[in-house]
Amino acid sequence: MASTTGASLKFTSLSSSFKQTQVPLRGVSNVNSVSFPSLRMRPGSLRFRVSCAAKPETVNKVCEIVRKQLALPDDSSVTGESKFSTLGADSLDTVEIVMGLEEEFGISVEEESAQSISTVQDAADLIEKLMDKNCA
Amino acid sequence: MMEKGVQRWVVDISTWDPSTDDFSYALSLLPQHHHSSITRFVKKDDRKRALISWLLQYALVHEVLGIPYHEIVIKRTLEGKPFLECGRVCLDFPNFNFNVSHHGDYVAIASEPLCLVGLDIVSHMIPEKETVLEFIQNFSSCFSSLEWDQIVTAGSNDEVLTEFYRYWCLKEAYVKATGSGLAYGLHKVEFYHTSWTDISVKVDGVRNAQWRFWLSELGKGHYVSIARGHPISATESYKRTLNQTKFNEEEYNEGLLLPNVSFVWRTVEELFLVIHKAKSSC
Repeated sequence: MASTTGASLKFTSLSSSFKQTQVPLRGVSNVNSVSFPSLRMRPGSLRFRVSCAAKPETVNKVCEIVRKQLALPDDSSVTGESKFSTLGADSLDTVEIVMGLEEEFGISVEEESAQSISTVQDAADLIEKLMDKNCA
Repeated sequence: MMEKGVQRWVVDISTWDPSTDDFSYALSLLPQHHHSSITRFVKKDDRKRALISWLLQYALVHEVLGIPYHEIVIKRTLEGKPFLECGRVCLDFPNFNFNVSHHGDYVAIASEPLCLVGLDIVSHMIPEKETVLEFIQNFSSCFSSLEWDQIVTAGSNDEVLTEFYRYWCLKEAYVKATGSGLAYGLHKVEFYHTSWTDISVKVDGVRNAQWRFWLSELGKGHYVSIARGHPISATESYKRTLNQTKFNEEEYNEGLLLPNVSFVWRTVEELFLVIHKAKSSC
């Protein structure tokens, strides 16, 4: 759920379309009734991860597993935004990566969820979501 | 006439070792908007395969349909399957469509005039960090118990791996034909065969006679499979790219029963020539 009091609004993992210095608050004097006409802040919207992005440690672990599986040279860049396909994963690699993540994090990934993973960040976010469920 | 729409081409890219300039030249043969989809790949071999894959698509469309280079519009569905955007130009065939695949040393393309076509190449790679059984176990949920049984009782490690790759190759061809292209639909289709000929399937547990499959080897331990099936089985997004998805039995059989041709070997240099000529003659 997104809370929209000006000070506590945190934007993490934004793509380049929104820069913090360009917040359109011109002409708004009362911060408690801020409206952002250009943002669709529907609950459950996946575009803006408000304080729900995976911890850096998780992202790094995923990067490590992916690097190993795809035998990537040490100097190649693997980040949260990296897409598995772009890194060279074929269909066999993708299944093995998901298996590797399941083993490493003690989770079980459903088919439907696995289908929506295309970047390292997607995988890390899903992992944390599933791990939270395990501990609930 | 319809026979002309059935094409199978393959390129061995192992001997193509382009310098940066060579690669730039090759890239210049393709429309600008495709470039990022090639250069985004981290590994050079993946970039090579992606580039040749696009060249094959343009060369095929140009040669088979006679569309002038600058009028060829190839897009991709949401799931990533390439298709030719037809206007008035593709009326020779009811549903001209194609599919590409690349793995290891080969990049290939297959087309059909009416039926959906899916193509997959799998290179027989031996797992390095785990045993064969540990490796295939990762994928066990993609196979029916019948298929799994066939795989694990195949004999030596090498024979087990071979059976595994053959089933995987066929499943991938099916999933690619429908436009779904995800490893996660693989368990829905179950294969039956007689020594890998006369291949038939059950889809979601029901026998489906509207599909044909072929499996062969390209050499150097690469398997290649072709799936040919009914357009009605395509994903919604891929169906939208097709001209016709409903056929009566007679019409459909015209497409289903066309001979399956063997692969024709093209070289990288030939492709460059074809495209270069096509580009300059507009």
